[in-house]
Parts: sequence; structure tokens; C-alpha cells
Amino acid sequence: MVMKPTKQIKRHGSTWKEKLFLPALFKGLGITFGHFWDNITRSKRIKTLQYPEEQPADITPRYRGVHRLTQREDGSARCVACFMCATACPAECIFIVAKEREDGVDEKEPERFEIDLLECVFCGGCVEACPCDAIRMDTGIFSVVAESREAFVRTKETLLATPKGV
Amino acid sequence: MGEANVWVVVVNIVLATLLSLGGAPILVWMERRVAGLIQDRLGPNRCHIGGIRLFGLVQSVADMLKLVFKEDFHPRHVKQNLLYTLAPAIVFACAFLTFMVMPLADTLVLGDKSYIMQALPIEFGLLWFLAFAGLSVYGILLGGWASNNKYSLLGALRASAQVVSYEAAMTLSLVSMLIVYGTVHLSDIAAFQGKLLFGVLPAWGVVLQPLAAFIFIVTAFAETNRAPFDMAEGESEIVGGFHTEYSAMRFGLFFVGEYIAMCASSAIIITLFFGGYQIPWASTAFLKAHITEVLGVIMVLLPLLCWLFIGWMRRQNRWINPSDPRAKETAVLAKVFIGMTVVLELGLAALVFGGMGEDGVSISVAALQVLTFALKLYAMNFVYIWVRWTLPRFRYDHLQMLSWKVLLPLALANVVVTALVVVGMGW
Repeated sequence: MVMKPTKQIKRHGSTWKEKLFLPALFKGLGITFGHFWDNITRSKRIKTLQYPEEQPADITPRYRGVHRLTQREDGSARCVACFMCATACPAECIFIVAKEREDGVDEKEPERFEIDLLECVFCGGCVEACPCDAIRMDTGIFSVVAESREAFVRTKETLLATPKGV
Repeated sequence: MGEANVWVVVVNIVLATLLSLGGAPILVWMERRVAGLIQDRLGPNRCHIGGIRLFGLVQSVADMLKLVFKEDFHPRHVKQNLLYTLAPAIVFACAFLTFMVMPLADTLVLGDKSYIMQALPIEFGLLWFLAFAGLSVYGILLGGWASNNKYSLLGALRASAQVVSYEAAMTLSLVSMLIVYGTVHLSDIAAFQGKLLFGVLPAWGVVLQPLAAFIFIVTAFAETNRAPFDMAEGESEIVGGFHTEYSAMRFGLFFVGEYIAMCASSAIIITLFFGGYQIPWASTAFLKAHITEVLGVIMVLLPLLCWLFIGWMRRQNRWINPSDPRAKETAVLAKVFIGMTVVLELGLAALVFGGMGEDGVSISVAALQVLTFALKLYAMNFVYIWVRWTLPRFRYDHLQMLSWKVLLPLALANVVVTALVVVGMGW
């Protein structure tokens, strides 16, 4: 077996100029002052978002936001309460109570379908696991605020009512 | 003790307090904004009182309030209660006292009396500075040791070893300056630098002794425990170093003390090496002879500066939501600045056209020099902040190597060469 020639990495810091340290120091000071001056005279080039007033515009379709439950054409939930998502969930934050579906569209539907956002790690495992495309994370909602712990539990109704965002 | 005597002393103390203690919130703000701008961020700019943000300065006030009202947490494992409480006070007091000997202006002559323009009018200012700058590390040492915590102890140890090694080089670099100036009285040192060298260059310490200036600035950075020499804090390896166990206003004292120490070292650097209160190419005698012309030039420059500043503010200081009170800030501030300029112009006009007595001239010159001192002080503080946000922290062995193997021999050689030149050429 022929050994590939190993790449020679040049060692820095041994020349007199590098040991003196001062040229590098002043170069560094020059760079930082350049940035300072550019930014103080033209602050619009700073990319910082003035957050609550300016909202991010770069939320992509693959961004994993808050979940929603998709609907069929008649407005009922696509979910068949198969528990695939609850099983896949590493944070165990999905609670489902199944019941028989009476209208003949499908066999089962969830009576309760709750996601505790305080436990959710937003891994997207539930979306991957769902065989019916019933749960998605394409709402684009990245910030959830509430005043109590209970308010962070998204019920079936809320999840169904949350629209597609991106 | 005449009436004027008391007032001059009071004014000096108030000025020195304003420049050091009053400067702390400004420096905190400056540090954050400059750090932000250097790193292509904005820095704090949202905090406001009735829409007035003052470019983020209000954030410092909010932070101070937060520190005051925070719980004064006292860990149970701290056994040395007295020393634990005393430590931040020592750091703060030492930093504060160091600043008190800085000459703010040339010796003020009123009538037949003359006053030294220092908050503490003592004639051994340089020794005072060295004593208190060295003493302030006791606060760090005591705080670190009394905290009864290994990280704090490590921070304290690092601080003490660092100060011991850097004080040697610092003092040696000062010795060469003392040979040049021939005095330890800071007012005399600053007055010396009003001269011109070969008739063109101002005889500032940095021109006379560039090597000593460099060594002193480096060691002063180490003395204040600021980056790149902030080994005592070293938050990436020893949590917070000496102030790990401190919270609320105890931490606040350490924090403010650090900024006052920075102010004090900036002040000593500019006093020793950058002419102190001296305006370059304009000595006190020159200013006194041409005071009307100088004030006239300021009268012309002031509206220009105000106009430039308001233009900059209109371009940069904006708020997106027009219904927010902060959106109206620029207009309000512009009016305030224009008002201030008008008042200053009227005052200057009264001085220029109304004529000044002998004392009036002296006071105007002193005021100009205090202003110059403040400007230089903040320029030097900017350099401190600028360096902090440019250079990474030194490794501990590199730090000691730099002190003992580079700075100390250089400082010694500088002393010898300076002594030979001064004695040999009979200056």
C-alpha cells in the first residue's frame, strides 16, 4: 500500500517578525478600527434585526416551527390516532386519546391530541413518523409566549386551527 | 484660606469625581457600544426614559438600578465576612484615590495666589499613583481568598503574580521618565510637556521616551486587569475569578472599580506621555496671551461640530415604528443640542466681546485645559476598549514571559540609556 504524502503544515510564530508580535497587533487593531468606523458612520450595514419591530424574513419552508394538524377537504382532522408520532417523540410531549370514527371516513380519530410545547424539543420526529401527513411543523411560528404552564399545551382545536405559515 | 481657595478646591474635587466616578456609566456604555460596533453588532440601544435613549446610555442607568435592587446574596461557605465585605470597597477606594492626584489644568493663578489643579494638591503624585495602583490588587486578593472557593483563589493568585511581575517593569519604565522630568510632581510633569522640542514637536513623554511609553502602556493594561491581561477574571477557565461569589452591589463595586481604575490609568498615561492637559502647540502662556482668538476659533468650530453631529444623528439614530416615543428622540435631541450650542455661543460671545479680567483669563484657560484633559482621557479610554475587543487573552506563561523576558530588560536598558544621555549631554 502506497502511503499518501502527508500535508506539510507551515508552523507560524518562529520568524523574528512574528515573535515581535507588534506588527500583528497593529494589523489587528487596524482591522477592528476599520469595522468600528464603518459601523459608526454607516450603521445600516449592520445585520442586527431590531427584533420585535422587525420580524425575520428568512424563515424557510423547512423551518421547524410550532406544530399544526392538517385537515381533510371536509375540515376534519387527517389524524387517525395511530400513535406513531407519540411513539417517535423523544421528549414524550404528545398526548393522544383515540376514539372510533363514526362518519365512515376512517376508522379512528383523536378525541384529544395535545402537545406540551414546554417539553417539545422541536426535532420534527413526529412529522417524519406520521403516515398520513396529519402533523406538520410548517407554521413558521418561532416564538410562543404564555403566562402559565398550562397555556403552553396546544390542544387539538388549536392545532387544527393553526394555519400554514411558510 | 480665602473664599476663592475653598471654591477652587471644591471645583477640583467635583471635576475629578465627575471624570472618574461619573465616567463609570459612560465607560460601561462606551465599552458595550464600541464592542458591538467592532463586532458588527449594534450594542445596547433600546432602553429609554420617555423615548430618550441617548444612543444607549440609559442602559447603564438601568443596569446600575438592577445592581442596587438585586438580592445581596451571601454564600454560606464564606467564613471571612469582614474581608469578604471589605474587598470590593478596597478595589473601589484605591481606584478612586488614584485618580485624585491627576492634574486637570495648569496651576491656576488668581490674584496673587496660585492653586494646584489637582483634587488632592500633593507634590508626590506619581508615588501616590504607584502606591494605590499596587494596593488595589489587595482588594482582588482578599476578595478571592475570602470567597473560600478554588476558582476565586486561582483568580486572586493570578492577579497577585501578575501585578508583582508587571509592577517591576512599570516602575522601571517610570524611572526613565523621572530622569527626564526630574520630578514626581504630576503638575510639574504636565507643565514640562507644554514646551516644544526643536520648535516643532510638542515635548510630550511619548516623543521623548517612546520605549518607556510603550512599556508603561502595556504594564498599565496589566495593572488594571483588563484584556489582554485579564487573567484574574478569566471567565472561560475560572468562572469569574475573584468576583465569582459576589453579587448585587458588591459585584457592582468591583465592576465600577475596574472602570475607575481604567480611567485612572488612562489619566496617568496621558499625564506622563501625552501632555496631560496641554493643548499641543498652545502652552498656557500662549493661551493666556491669545485667549480672545482661541475662544473665537471655538465659536466658529462649535456650530460646525453641532451641525455635523446632528447630521450624523439624523442618518444613524432611527426607529422603525413611528408611533413609538423613541422615534421622536432624534428631533428632541437635535433641539437640545442646538439649544446648548446657542447658550455656549452666547457665553463665549460675552467673554470675547465683554472682555475678561486677569482672573477671567486664567479661569478660561483652565477650563479649556480641563476640557482637553477630558477629551484625551476619553480617547485613551477608547484605546483601552479598542485593545480589549481586538486581542485575545494571554496564556499565563506567555504573560509572565512577556514581563520578565521582554519588558523588564527593555525597561532596564532604557533606564541606562536615558541616564547616559541625560548625564552625558548634561540636559
